[in-house]
Amino acid sequence: MRIAGVDLSLWVVLTTLAVLTCALVLGHLSEVGYRRAAEKRGLVLLKQWLSPAQLAQYENHGYFELTGGESGKRYRIRPTHQMNVDELNERGVRTVSYCFGPEGELPIGDVMLAQKIALENDEQAALALANRGNPHQSPPRFG
Amino acid sequence: MIGNGVVDKMRAMAKQIVMDATGDTRHEFDPADTHAVAEAFARFEALTREGFTAAVRTGSGTSELIRNFDPAANETLFFPRLRGG
Repeated sequence: MRIAGVDLSLWVVLTTLAVLTCALVLGHLSEVGYRRAAEKRGLVLLKQWLSPAQLAQYENHGYFELTGGESGKRYRIRPTHQMNVDELNERGVRTVSYCFGPEGELPIGDVMLAQKIALENDEQAALALANRGNPHQSPPRFG
Repeated sequence: MIGNGVVDKMRAMAKQIVMDATGDTRHEFDPADTHAVAEAFARFEALTREGFTAAVRTGSGTSELIRNFDPAANETLFFPRLRGG
């Protein structure tokens, strides 16, 4: 059988391909929307738990700093998933970078909040888990 | 229209916030409701047994880790076990 000069089996194949493509695109868009909503929710939670000074720093620079609960050292937490915790010296220069965070696929706001709480309340335990990185290997870019 | 009693009750609701892939999942409960408190206690025990760390907010930007369920805490945050990256 032919429709508009095209074989019926070809119509079936083309229609099936069109439906599958739509399903893939919609699925992708749904996944993107889901991730975006999760990231937004994570940042809202983070901001609720930051001090006013940390919040202002985060809003202005995209990172915030805190004082380690045990050592009194300064740390900077940046919004990336790896090596995003910097130890700072008295001049505010990064001396070591650390990589640690909560298990699972969490939005970056959640990761940063867990890192903040850990460093402020159980600094040595958090650093004992962390991998250390060379601070000169990947200079951060802000602003 | 919401009466004062309802507003007071809403204000008094305690919250357990569990970090997850959606950002977080929140469980609210009335600290005056013994059944709800028992559920919150069971949730606390299950999460900490699973490796979650529990923290309560103690002030603006300050927090404290807790090892035992605190029914008086307004907001308890749970984050998954930490690991090196």
